[in-house]
Amino acid sequence: MDFCEMTTERIDISSVARRVVPPECGATVTLDGYARRFTKKDGRVLETEHLVYEAYPEMALKEMQKLVARAKAEFEVSAVGIVHRTGRLEIGETSVVISVAAPHRRAAFAACEWLIKELKRTVPIWKKEVYADGEAWAEGESNA
Amino acid sequence: MRIKVLFFGAAGDIVGKRDDELDVREGAAAKDVLDALAARFPKLAGHKLHIAVDQEYASPATAVHSDNEIAVFTAVSGG
Repeated sequence: MDFCEMTTERIDISSVARRVVPPECGATVTLDGYARRFTKKDGRVLETEHLVYEAYPEMALKEMQKLVARAKAEFEVSAVGIVHRTGRLEIGETSVVISVAAPHRRAAFAACEWLIKELKRTVPIWKKEVYADGEAWAEGESNA
Repeated sequence: MRIKVLFFGAAGDIVGKRDDELDVREGAAAKDVLDALAARFPKLAGHKLHIAVDQEYASPATAVHSDNEIAVFTAVSGG
Protein backbone atom coordinates (compact mmCIF):
# COMPACT_ATOMS: atom_id res chain seq x y z
CA MET A 1 0.00 0.00 0.00
CA ASP A 2 2.83 2.45 0.84
CA PHE A 3 5.08 3.64 -1.95
CA CYS A 4 8.10 5.89 -2.54
CA GLU A 5 9.13 6.72 -6.08
CA MET A 6 11.40 8.99 -8.10
CA THR A 7 10.45 10.05 -11.60
CA THR A 8 11.58 12.39 -14.34
CA GLU A 9 8.04 12.51 -15.76
CA ARG A 10 5.20 14.86 -14.93
CA ILE A 11 3.42 13.71 -11.72
CA ASP A 12 -0.33 13.06 -11.85
CA ILE A 13 -1.36 14.26 -8.37
CA SER A 14 -4.81 12.72 -8.24
CA SER A 15 -3.59 9.30 -9.31
CA VAL A 16 -1.00 9.37 -6.51
CA ALA A 17 -3.69 10.38 -4.01
CA ARG A 18 -6.10 7.67 -5.13
CA ARG A 19 -3.46 4.96 -4.68
CA VAL A 20 -3.76 5.39 -0.90
CA VAL A 21 -7.41 4.73 -0.10
CA PRO A 22 -7.53 1.85 2.40
CA PRO A 23 -11.01 0.69 3.47
CA GLU A 24 -10.48 1.70 7.11
CA CYS A 25 -9.63 5.27 6.10
CA GLY A 26 -11.87 8.29 5.73
CA ALA A 27 -9.46 11.00 4.60
CA THR A 28 -6.33 11.46 2.51
CA VAL A 29 -4.26 14.63 2.84
CA THR A 30 -2.16 15.32 -0.26
CA LEU A 31 0.63 17.89 -0.53
CA ASP A 32 1.30 19.20 -4.04
CA GLY A 33 4.69 20.91 -3.93
CA TYR A 34 5.45 22.81 -7.13
CA ALA A 35 8.02 25.12 -8.69
CA ARG A 36 7.73 28.71 -7.44
CA ARG A 37 8.53 31.67 -9.68
CA PHE A 38 9.18 34.35 -7.04
CA THR A 39 11.42 33.73 -4.02
CA LYS A 40 12.19 36.36 -1.38
CA LYS A 41 15.83 36.29 -0.32
CA ASP A 42 17.78 38.85 1.70
CA GLY A 43 15.13 41.51 1.10
CA ARG A 44 15.16 40.95 -2.66
CA VAL A 45 12.73 39.02 -4.84
CA LEU A 46 14.38 36.52 -7.17
CA GLU A 47 12.52 35.45 -10.28
CA THR A 48 13.10 31.81 -11.18
CA GLU A 49 12.96 30.81 -14.84
CA HIS A 50 12.96 27.06 -14.18
CA LEU A 51 14.25 24.53 -11.66
CA VAL A 52 16.57 21.55 -11.92
CA TYR A 53 16.36 18.84 -9.28
CA GLU A 54 19.20 16.38 -8.76
CA ALA A 55 18.98 13.28 -6.56
CA TYR A 56 21.12 10.53 -5.14
CA PRO A 57 18.34 8.18 -6.16
CA GLU A 58 19.16 4.97 -4.29
CA MET A 59 19.76 6.77 -1.01
CA ALA A 60 16.80 9.11 -1.56
CA LEU A 61 14.45 6.14 -1.85
CA LYS A 62 15.92 4.57 1.30
CA GLU A 63 15.51 7.81 3.25
CA MET A 64 11.93 8.25 2.01
CA GLN A 65 11.10 4.69 3.07
CA LYS A 66 12.50 5.42 6.54
CA LEU A 67 10.28 8.49 6.78
CA VAL A 68 7.21 6.49 5.79
CA ALA A 69 7.97 3.86 8.45
CA ARG A 70 8.47 6.57 11.10
CA ALA A 71 5.30 8.41 10.10
CA LYS A 72 3.28 5.21 10.41
CA ALA A 73 4.83 4.51 13.83
CA GLU A 74 4.28 8.02 15.21
CA PHE A 75 0.91 9.04 13.70
CA GLU A 76 -2.44 7.26 13.41
CA VAL A 77 -2.16 6.86 9.65
CA SER A 78 -2.69 3.81 7.43
CA ALA A 79 -0.90 4.48 4.17
CA VAL A 80 1.66 6.92 2.75
CA GLY A 81 2.74 7.56 -0.83
CA ILE A 82 5.62 9.85 -1.82
CA VAL A 83 6.63 10.69 -5.40
CA HIS A 84 9.46 13.15 -6.13
CA ARG A 85 10.37 14.40 -9.57
CA THR A 86 13.91 15.20 -10.73
CA GLY A 87 15.39 16.87 -13.79
CA ARG A 88 14.11 20.13 -15.28
CA LEU A 89 10.81 21.53 -14.00
CA GLU A 90 8.98 24.53 -15.39
CA ILE A 91 7.28 27.05 -13.10
CA GLY A 92 4.09 25.60 -11.58
CA GLU A 93 5.02 21.99 -12.31
CA THR A 94 4.77 19.56 -9.42
CA SER A 95 8.06 18.54 -7.81
CA VAL A 96 6.76 16.41 -4.95
CA VAL A 97 3.52 14.75 -3.93
CA ILE A 98 2.94 13.31 -0.47
CA SER A 99 -0.37 11.55 0.17
CA VAL A 100 -1.31 10.32 3.64
CA ALA A 101 -4.43 8.27 4.29
CA ALA A 102 -5.86 7.97 7.79
CA PRO A 103 -9.06 6.89 9.51
CA HIS A 104 -9.50 10.55 10.54
CA ARG A 105 -8.15 13.73 8.93
CA ARG A 106 -6.32 15.26 11.88
CA ALA A 107 -3.58 12.61 11.94
CA ALA A 108 -3.26 12.78 8.15
CA PHE A 109 -2.64 16.56 8.22
CA ALA A 110 -0.09 16.22 11.02
CA ALA A 111 1.77 13.35 9.36
CA CYS A 112 1.86 15.07 5.96
CA GLU A 113 3.34 18.24 7.50
CA TRP A 114 5.91 16.18 9.39
CA LEU A 115 6.82 14.19 6.25
CA ILE A 116 7.52 17.22 4.04
CA LYS A 117 9.53 18.89 6.81
CA GLU A 118 11.69 15.77 7.26
CA LEU A 119 11.97 15.14 3.52
CA LYS A 120 13.42 18.64 3.03
CA ARG A 121 15.89 17.99 5.86
CA THR A 122 17.08 14.44 5.18
CA VAL A 123 16.28 13.08 1.71
CA PRO A 124 19.27 13.56 -0.64
CA ILE A 125 17.69 15.67 -3.36
CA TRP A 126 18.95 19.12 -4.39
CA LYS A 127 17.18 22.01 -6.12
CA LYS A 128 18.91 24.44 -8.44
CA GLU A 129 17.08 27.69 -9.20
CA VAL A 130 17.84 29.01 -12.69
CA TYR A 131 17.30 32.76 -13.22
CA ALA A 132 17.46 34.86 -16.36
CA ASP A 133 20.99 35.95 -15.36
CA GLY A 134 22.41 33.03 -13.42
CA GLU A 135 21.67 30.06 -11.20
CA ALA A 136 22.02 28.97 -7.58
CA TRP A 137 21.57 25.83 -5.54
CA ALA A 138 18.82 26.34 -3.00
CA GLU A 139 20.18 26.50 0.51
CA GLY A 140 18.98 23.46 2.37
CA GLU A 141 18.30 23.22 6.04
CA SER A 142 20.80 21.45 8.24
CA ASN A 143 20.81 17.69 7.76
CA ALA A 144 20.34 14.74 10.05
CA MET B 1 43.82 2.67 -0.15
CA ARG B 2 41.94 4.13 -3.07
CA ILE B 3 38.29 5.07 -2.65
CA LYS B 4 35.70 6.32 -5.09
CA VAL B 5 33.63 9.34 -4.06
CA LEU B 6 30.36 10.53 -5.58
CA PHE B 7 29.43 14.24 -5.47
CA PHE B 8 25.94 15.71 -5.52
CA GLY B 9 24.35 19.15 -5.52
CA ALA B 10 26.57 22.17 -5.03
CA ALA B 11 29.48 19.88 -4.09
CA GLY B 12 29.45 18.43 -7.61
CA ASP B 13 29.56 21.87 -9.19
CA ILE B 14 32.36 23.00 -6.87
CA VAL B 15 34.65 20.08 -7.68
CA GLY B 16 33.57 20.13 -11.32
CA LYS B 17 32.75 16.43 -11.54
CA ARG B 18 30.25 13.90 -10.27
CA ASP B 19 32.76 11.31 -9.06
CA ASP B 20 36.43 11.07 -8.29
CA GLU B 21 39.03 8.70 -6.86
CA LEU B 22 40.93 9.57 -3.73
CA ASP B 23 43.81 7.98 -1.81
CA VAL B 24 43.36 7.76 1.96
CA ARG B 25 45.18 5.67 4.55
CA GLU B 26 43.98 2.21 5.55
CA GLY B 27 41.54 2.48 8.44
CA ALA B 28 40.48 5.99 7.45
CA ALA B 29 37.24 7.45 8.78
CA ALA B 30 34.67 9.68 7.12
CA LYS B 31 36.35 12.76 8.61
CA ASP B 32 39.63 11.83 6.89
CA VAL B 33 37.83 11.67 3.55
CA LEU B 34 36.38 15.16 4.08
CA ASP B 35 39.79 16.51 5.13
CA ALA B 36 41.44 15.00 2.04
CA LEU B 37 38.76 16.52 -0.19
CA ALA B 38 39.10 19.94 1.44
CA ALA B 39 42.85 19.83 0.79
CA ARG B 40 42.35 18.81 -2.83
CA PHE B 41 39.45 21.17 -3.55
CA PRO B 42 39.98 24.32 -1.43
CA LYS B 43 36.72 25.78 -2.70
CA LEU B 44 34.86 23.14 -0.69
CA ALA B 45 35.98 24.91 2.49
CA GLY B 46 33.22 27.15 3.73
CA HIS B 47 30.53 24.66 2.80
CA LYS B 48 29.03 22.35 5.36
CA LEU B 49 29.50 18.93 3.83
CA HIS B 50 27.68 15.70 4.55
CA ILE B 51 29.03 12.26 3.84
CA ALA B 52 27.17 9.02 3.27
CA VAL B 53 28.71 5.55 3.38
CA ASP B 54 26.82 2.84 1.52
CA GLN B 55 23.82 5.16 1.19
CA GLU B 56 23.53 5.90 4.91
CA TYR B 57 24.43 9.20 6.63
CA ALA B 58 27.81 8.75 8.28
CA SER B 59 29.32 10.37 11.36
CA PRO B 60 32.90 11.74 11.32
CA ALA B 61 34.12 8.53 12.99
CA THR B 62 32.45 6.12 10.56
CA ALA B 63 35.09 3.79 9.09
CA VAL B 64 35.45 3.71 5.31
CA HIS B 65 36.77 0.89 3.14
CA SER B 66 37.76 0.73 -0.48
CA ASP B 67 34.61 -1.21 -1.40
CA ASN B 68 32.22 1.30 0.22
CA GLU B 69 30.03 3.60 -1.83
CA ILE B 70 30.98 7.05 -0.51
CA ALA B 71 29.02 10.18 -1.34
CA VAL B 72 29.71 13.80 -0.39
CA PHE B 73 27.14 16.57 -0.66
CA THR B 74 25.96 19.92 0.65
CA ALA B 75 22.74 20.35 2.65
CA VAL B 76 19.82 18.75 0.85
CA SER B 77 17.09 20.98 -0.60
CA GLY B 78 14.42 18.77 -2.11
CA GLY B 79 10.69 19.16 -1.78
